[in-house]
Amino acid sequence: MSEVILSVAGLEKSYDDVIAVDGLDFEIEKGECFGLLGPNGAGKSTTLAMLEGMEEPTAGSVRYYGASLPSDYQTRVGIQFQATALQDFLTPFDNLKLFSSFYDDPIPMDQLIEQFRLKDFLHRDSRRLSGGQRQRLLLALALVHNPEIVFLDEPTTGLDPRSRRDLWDVVSDLKADGRTLILTTHYMEEAEVLCDELMILSHGKTLLQGTPEQLITDAGVSDLDTLFLSLTGETLVKTQEVIE
Amino acid sequence: MSAIGRSFRRMKAVFIARNLEYLRDRASFGWNLVFPVLIVFALAVVFSGPPRALFTITTISSDDLPELVEFPGVEAIETDRLKALDRLSRQQTDLVVEVVDGSVNYWVNGNSASGAILELLLTYTETRPLKRGETDGDAIRYVDWVVPGILGMNMMYSALWGVGYVVVRYRQSGYLRRLKATPLTKFEFLSAQVLSRLLVTLTASTIVFVGTNLILDYKMVGSIWLLFLIALMGGLAMITLGLAIACRTESKEFADGLLNAVTFPMLLLSGVWFSLDGSPEWVQMFAQVLPLTHVLEAARAVMLDNAGFADITIHLAVLVGFCIVGMALSIKLFKW
Repeated sequence: MSEVILSVAGLEKSYDDVIAVDGLDFEIEKGECFGLLGPNGAGKSTTLAMLEGMEEPTAGSVRYYGASLPSDYQTRVGIQFQATALQDFLTPFDNLKLFSSFYDDPIPMDQLIEQFRLKDFLHRDSRRLSGGQRQRLLLALALVHNPEIVFLDEPTTGLDPRSRRDLWDVVSDLKADGRTLILTTHYMEEAEVLCDELMILSHGKTLLQGTPEQLITDAGVSDLDTLFLSLTGETLVKTQEVIE
Repeated sequence: MSAIGRSFRRMKAVFIARNLEYLRDRASFGWNLVFPVLIVFALAVVFSGPPRALFTITTISSDDLPELVEFPGVEAIETDRLKALDRLSRQQTDLVVEVVDGSVNYWVNGNSASGAILELLLTYTETRPLKRGETDGDAIRYVDWVVPGILGMNMMYSALWGVGYVVVRYRQSGYLRRLKATPLTKFEFLSAQVLSRLLVTLTASTIVFVGTNLILDYKMVGSIWLLFLIALMGGLAMITLGLAIACRTESKEFADGLLNAVTFPMLLLSGVWFSLDGSPEWVQMFAQVLPLTHVLEAARAVMLDNAGFADITIHLAVLVGFCIVGMALSIKLFKW
């Protein structure tokens, strides 16, 4: 039986009078790819921020192997934020060197350069990278310390179809390594391809949770998009639409 | 590796990254060096003639001043005796007068022709008993007096904007949030920013100081090491002030406003361009709460009057106070 790495109970987050996350309960098993699915404003990124330890919950708890988050939790997780700027004028090489210096036992830079295919633009000003190159660099920075859990917040938003497929390959490799992945996405196909377990959120609450196949079968629909439409009245983005 | 060793390693990495960013930003790097040089040369050209066209008399607080003070073409400034005689020895004023118990005490600079003319006029126009005093000292050019001001102003802009604005930019772009997700601590991040900007500020000030002095040969009679110490403490005080401003600010526009609100009074009231002697007392008191005032008063004392460490201790102590308060506030209030 798989071990539970993160368990969430009664998780809530409010900003003034806005409730972003409203009482979530779920568990994430070690080594699985857990997807948070939902339209804009569903509470995906806020939930992710609390799982990452970046935000304090208003109520409820996030537990790591059944205990409170340890003080060195940041060294156990790698985070690829939805929108992250890097220091101006620094190259991917400079950034890798900088972020490697934050940790005691980082992955050798050559290995990261190879794994994330950074060689062709290693000494280019980071501001001049394409969307796909930039995402690969950010993922490499998130993985520089060989974390146990990797958080990916809408990793393929804004990427062209080719870059999106490239990133799926990289994420699939991380899964194959046995890492626990937690990702948010707008894209139905991405969720189906990458995730072992899905949670569909709307207005900060859980609408459904299960494997992609389970959710489709139980609802008796043809795909996740149809299911999502029937639940929320909103559609997710189909990758094919983006390609077209 | 020990905790201190790890902390030092992270700080060093951020320090190097910030320096790289600055050095590769050639426009801002160049401007930091070129701008003060241009101002020094422009002022040297504009004020290359005699310091003033009219007579200046400095009065020491007293009633029934001589009629001469009211003469057309005479500018009168009131201050205390110490400052007045200081000004006289630098020939920033032509005559110093004070009325005590019905007699007029006056001082002239033996090297000043204007002082001799005013002395003659005073003896012809004044009926009360006169008591003469004399100082000496060469006239200082405006450029001698203004160079510390320009160096200080450049340091102020470099320190406050180079740290304050950059930290807010990092925050607004999400870069600080990215750093928060690493083991880097607030103290390590802030210390690296302070050290990086201090290096930039001191290097730029040294290059401008040496470069302009080679050509303009302005007055520098004191200890160069003492001047360096003033620059070090002044730079630190203003960098930590910049950090304190930026520690929670999220918008670049608001940071602009705050930084302007801090730099503008210093630009006007710290004695960058002109002396505040003769200005209302409350203005002079207010100027004492500005770090740049202490940098400039200490620097001018060293450069123009050969002041020693003991003479500028109070200024250094105030600057140390600014550093401690600024850094403590920054660490306490800093938000990634």
